[in-house]
Formats: sequence, C-alpha cells, structure tokens
Amino acid sequence: MQTALSVLVDSTLITFVFALAAIGLAIIFGLMGVINMGHGAMLTLGAYFTWYTTSAGVPFAVAVLLAACGVGLIGLLLEHFIIRHFYDRQFETLLLTWGFFLVSTEIIKIVFGTDLRTVTNPLPGAAHLGPIVVPAYQGVVALISLGLLVGFALLLFRTTVGIKIRALVQNAEIASLLGLNVGQAYKLVFVTGSAAAGLAGGLISPMLSVDPYIGNVFLVRSFFVVIIGGIGQVLGGTLVGSFLIGGSETLFALVSGQVVAQTIVFALAILVLRFRPTGVLRAE
Amino acid sequence: MTRSIVARPGAANAGLLRSETAVAVVVFFALALLPGVASGYVVYIVPQYLLYGMLAMSLALLWGFGGILSFGQAAFFALGAYAMGLAQHWDMAVNPAYVALLISIAVGGALAGVVGYFLFSAGVRDVYFVLVTLALSIMTEQITISQSDITGGYNGMFIPRMSLTFGDASLDLSDDVPMYYTILPLTIGIYALLRWVLASRFGKVLIGIRENEDRVLSLGFRTPLYKTAAFAISGAIAGLAGALYGTHASFVSPSLAGVLFSTQVVVWVAIGGRESLLGSLLGAVGVAALSNYLTAITPEYWQLVLGIVFVLVIMAFRGGVAGALGGLTAPRRPETESG
Amino acid sequence: MAELLRTAGLSKRFRGLIANDAIDFALQSGEVRCVIGPNGAGKTTFISMISGHQTPSAGRIFFRGRDVTGSSVTARAQMGIARKFQTPSVFDRLSLHANLELASLGKRSTAAERQTRITEVLDITRLAPFRHLPASVLSHGQRQWLEVGMLLANRAELLLLDEPTAGMTAEETHATALLIRRLADAHHLSVIIIEHDIAFIRDLKAPVTVLHLGRVLMSDSFDAVAENEQVRSVYLGQG
Repeated sequence: MQTALSVLVDSTLITFVFALAAIGLAIIFGLMGVINMGHGAMLTLGAYFTWYTTSAGVPFAVAVLLAACGVGLIGLLLEHFIIRHFYDRQFETLLLTWGFFLVSTEIIKIVFGTDLRTVTNPLPGAAHLGPIVVPAYQGVVALISLGLLVGFALLLFRTTVGIKIRALVQNAEIASLLGLNVGQAYKLVFVTGSAAAGLAGGLISPMLSVDPYIGNVFLVRSFFVVIIGGIGQVLGGTLVGSFLIGGSETLFALVSGQVVAQTIVFALAILVLRFRPTGVLRAE
Repeated sequence: MTRSIVARPGAANAGLLRSETAVAVVVFFALALLPGVASGYVVYIVPQYLLYGMLAMSLALLWGFGGILSFGQAAFFALGAYAMGLAQHWDMAVNPAYVALLISIAVGGALAGVVGYFLFSAGVRDVYFVLVTLALSIMTEQITISQSDITGGYNGMFIPRMSLTFGDASLDLSDDVPMYYTILPLTIGIYALLRWVLASRFGKVLIGIRENEDRVLSLGFRTPLYKTAAFAISGAIAGLAGALYGTHASFVSPSLAGVLFSTQVVVWVAIGGRESLLGSLLGAVGVAALSNYLTAITPEYWQLVLGIVFVLVIMAFRGGVAGALGGLTAPRRPETESG
Repeated sequence: MAELLRTAGLSKRFRGLIANDAIDFALQSGEVRCVIGPNGAGKTTFISMISGHQTPSAGRIFFRGRDVTGSSVTARAQMGIARKFQTPSVFDRLSLHANLELASLGKRSTAAERQTRITEVLDITRLAPFRHLPASVLSHGQRQWLEVGMLLANRAELLLLDEPTAGMTAEETHATALLIRRLADAHHLSVIIIEHDIAFIRDLKAPVTVLHLGRVLMSDSFDAVAENEQVRSVYLGQG
C-alpha cells in the first residue's frame, strides 16, 4: 500500500526523468523552433550506445558521456547534410526528422538486433531519508536532471554565448548583421540538443529494458512538456511541463490505472494546447 | 526546385487531370480483370491493399489537397475495424455488418469533425495539429488495449467475413472472389467521390487553404469550417476502409490504431504522391505489396530502404512518384500574347 | 456621392505607444484617397483597424452607415472591405485563372458569372495573356495587380492598399496609377492607398490625407498638401 509520501517521491522522480528526456527537445524545438521528430530516436541511440559500451566493460558514467558524444555527432551529421536546408520549412523538417527516426530505428535493429537489452543499474539500493525511501540511482538522475536544467538556463541567460544564441533565435537576420555566424550557431544548438537527448537516453537506460522503440515513449510527451511548459522557457517551463505530463500521470494512476491516467494526461495536454498555446507559464 | 504537380483547378489543369483520369480508368480496368489471371493468394491479398489505398486517399485529401498533415488516420481505421468486430455479436433485423459500416463512417466523421472543429477554430495548425493527431493515435491504441473486455486487448479480435444481403438473398463473402468484387467497386467509388469533391467549390477552397490560408481567410472564407469538413470526410473514409479491412482480414488488434501504422500511411502517401489521389492509392498498394513480399525475406533492410526513400522524397521529390511522372505528361503551356 | 467609410475618434494604443490618436476620417463611394506620412505615423495601423486585423483601443468605424467596429476580418471581407498587404499574397502555384476563380468563389455567383468576372478582371488588370500560367511566373508588379484583381473578383468595394508600388519599376508604377484610376472611375471602387512614392501620388490625381504621430495633420488635394509648410517640415524633420 503506497503512502502519500512515497507517491509524492515517485511523482517527483518521474518528473525529473521526463525533464531530463525533454531537455534535448527544449533546446532544439523550444529554443530553435526545429521540429525534431527524431528526438525519441536520439534517446534510443543514447540508450543503445550506453548498453554497448557498458557491455564491453566501460564504466557507466564514461559510457553515458560517450553516448552523448556519439549522438551529438549523429546530430551534427543530420544537421549538416539535411536539416540545415530546411530551417524555414517546418513541415519538411518534421517529416525529415521522422524519416531519421525510421532509418535509425532500422539501423539499430540491424546492428544491435531486436532482443530486449538490459543495462545494469550502476547504483542499486536506496537512500533512506527519514520516512522517505529514494532509490539511489533515480535520486542521482533527478539531481543530474536538475543540474542540467539549471546549467542550461545559466548558460543561456548569463553567458555571452547564451545571449548570442537567444538573439539568434529572436531574429536570425539581425543577429547575422551583428556579426553572429548564424550557420555555426544553429549547428551548435542542434548538436547540443542531440547530445542532451543521447545523454538522457543513456541515463534512463538502466530504468527500462532497452528496445528499438524505447525513446518513442518520450517523443510525444517531450513535445507536450515543451509546449505546455512554454516554448523557450528552458528551466521553469520544462519543470512545470514535466510535472504536468509526467508527474501527474503517476498521481492519476493511483486512482485509475496506468492506461487511463495516460489518456487523461494526453487529453488535458491537448486542452491546454488549444486554450493556451503559449504554455502554462506566463511568457516573459 | 522540385518539379511537382501543380493541382490547378480550372481549365489549365484539364490536360493533367484528363491524363490522371485516363490512367485511373486503365488501372481500375486492369484490377477488374485481375482475378481472372492471377493466383488465389493475389485475389486474397489485393483487396487489403486497396483498403490501404482507400485509407491513403483519405490522407491525401487532408494533406495533399488541404495541407493538413495528420499522423492519426490509423485511429479511425482501427475504430472502423473494431466496430465491424463488435457487429458480429449484434442480433438485429438488418444486416449488422451494414450497420457497422454506417457506424464506422458516422463515428469516423463525427469524431474527426468534433476534434477538428475544436482545434481549427482556435487556430491550432501545422505542427501542433500533427502532435495532437499523434497523441490521439496513441490514446486510441491505449484505449483499445485497456478495454480488453470489449476489444480483446492485446490479443485482438477475430472478425468473421460479412455477408452482403439484398432482401432475403445473401451472399457470403468468405470466398475471396466475391469479396474482391465487393471491395474493388467501393474503392473506385471512393476515388470517384473524392475526385468530385476536389473539383467542387469546396475542393477549390481547400486547395487555396493549402496554398495560402491567410489569403483565403482575407477573401472572406471561414477556413476553420472548411478544414473541419475535410478532416471529417477523411475520418469517415478511413473508418469505412477500416471496417472493410476488419472483415476482410478477419482480425483486428490494437497495433492497427498505433503510431507506427499511422505514420506508414504518411509514408505511402508521400512516396505515391500526396497531390494525386491515384498516386496515393497506388503508393499504398505498391509499398504495401512490396513490404509484404520483402518483409518475408529481409524485414529490416526493406524498412531501411523505405525510410531512406521517404527522406529522399521529402527532400527532393515533393510530388512523389506521381509528381515525377506527371511532370512528364504536363500539358504544353499556351503561347503568350505580346502586349 | 454616398459616404462609404467613416471613422470617428479611432485610436490604437500599444502598451504606452499611441499609434493612432482619435482619427476622424471619411471616404466617399468611388473616391480614391492617398494616406501619407513619415515612418511610424500610424498608417498601417489605421488600415489594419479598418480591415479588422487590429482592434481599436477607442473609436468607431462605420461602413455604409453600419458600425463594423466589432466585426471580424472575414465578416468585413464579406461586406466588401478588402485589404492588400505589402508583400503580394497570391497563390503562386496556381494559375491566374485559378487564383481569380478562388477569389470569386467568395461571393455567391453562378459558374457563368464567375467566368465573366474572371475575364473582366484579367482585362482590367491587363493580365489576360497569363491566364493559364502559374502566378509564380509574374513579375513583382504583376503579382500586385493580380492580388488587386483577386480583390475585384471577390467583389471588393473598398480597397485598402498598403504601399502597392513598393518594389515596382517606373513603368509598373505608372501602370498601377492608371489601373487604380480605371477601378475608381469606370468600376466605382473606393480606394485608400498608403504610399511613399510622390510621383505615383501625383500621377493618381487624388486627394491626400497626411498622418503624423498618429494624428491627421491635414487632408486636401495633392498640390495643397505638397505646398504646405507644416507637411514639408514634418517630412524633412524626419529625414
């Protein structure tokens, strides 16, 4: 029997998992406006790279970082050869990134096979903080997730690079007149978002069995997280959105079961999208 | 710059449409003769491809001609199939399969209409609309899984072949040939219906919305209504196709509602040619047939090739196969007068 | 001539910036009026409020005596108020015929009436040779005329043109002035034009309303406005 406290803990941990999964999209879609339907595939790739390298004996933390770099590299290739020709065409970008999902999923199946894979939990056990029991690994992931969000927010709002990126996003034409290399900046943002997705995939991999479609669970949800949280609101928006999409599902599931909870959350997300398309948080 | 078919309503397009009509006549004629020359398996499987084609045409109307991309057509398709599945338990004076067909059309249309109006009236478009249809697909799949008392859950539902009834006489469609000759005319009928819709005032406005929705709005048209109607029509047709598919394949499962199948439809239409009804129909038939044949041999490599072709089509061949061919049969431009 | 359009005290405020300040304006049926003024004078905002794309902060708009202040863009388009944007907005991939056909479908008509209308409009805009070609083949100036043509096919009665000659060659500009004259004189359209091109305005021989900082500075014949000291200083001062 779940106590209220343990439910809250679960809900919070899930919120951070969703936030972690959404960061890459918050950067690519939220910041750049690029519809990345391959976001789920990037998560999946991160998970598979992590599995592959840990199976070869590489320590988990290193494996995850390698996965992030690997997916970042893939993102670079994707951007350079395909995406950068379609920045002003949203529909094409949507379909092309979906094509990327199709292609990369098949390549994963060919290279890694379709059997379920497991990544061993590098931090089994739980921490007991008074009455609260927090699974150790999930707790660390939550902290990493929070750290990344804060880090990106600081990067965007407190550093020169961040300010330039935000200027670029507001108005590419003026930014280029001000001497900003627009092409390079876009590449940087896209690669960062891809790497973040790869990282998330790697970190999430011990929590689920890894199959070629693992990332897709997070695809639609990540879009909802970003849209409902508020496009461009990397820190607060992602957290609020993650709670509304992820954490609340856990709460609903208490009363109604997993599937109905999911349906309710999606239905609510659609309602929010329709009535408040700029997101739940007030735009700056 | 891609060479794509310009769907030009009015006199300018007459040459091109006349050629599509000519090709369509030839294709349908050939299909009508097919059972006479082909093996039992072909006669069995082709109607399924035709129903995929019907589903593809429903998306072509919405996307190719209305500019409204939907990743959720499979939801209507699956609901139609489940309706047909449920009909086997109904005890009524009228042929329950007929009722199921009507319900599929009505529910598909109504559901799409309600959701469509809800979204379009608030100006939800483009990417946001795609996301919502994606979410709806997932929701439908989940509901069909969870309501397992009704739907059989993951295990799916077996559906008997329906019978055609005319008064007291009835024709059992368990044999493949009568089934073939039931589905083919219906497919042709839907094709003709959609051609008629597209040539009408409604169709022209819809194409205008695809080209430049703001301009259409400023001309005084209430575009949300047109978009809702297009979505409703496509939902109704997808529902019909699904119900027929259910009784033909004799089986339905939740994956029929899911994202992967829904997006397959987009791939068919993109490759076949979204701005051509016949192209979309044949795209679905062609890709599904190839998939069926090649998946037995090499599933991942075929899907990989398909994915790459899809990407190439989006990047460089907006008109799909139909567009590439149509460019070869475009009418000669009239000479321009001077002054 | 009957009064077609009237604004009373029309104002628009954007968070502290007053774009239009209590503008009283009247246009007769069949009249052509140029609206000029330095950048930021509020010309586009004024037009936007008449077409319905912006809601006024204060004031009323009357069209044919009817208060349309609360009417939507679509409703006003159906009444005959038609806006042409600065960048031509036509259906590039469709033929001129299709463009005009779509525009004419906006108002009730039979197929035969529409055909006649399309031919008529192509004639007025001198675009008949391009009837079956896609709009993308037209020059910038010709696309502007096509767009005007679409508004005609849509049975517009009041045309709101926002810098129609921007990007046009000298010949095209002159042809545009002749087109607008034809529309007003022979076809009884009423036209409000925002413009910067002095030669074009002079060509048009139409009265001019000068806006400055959101207010009407003066409204008179072109010659009177051109000689007015205040107007000259407002323009020169902004340079």
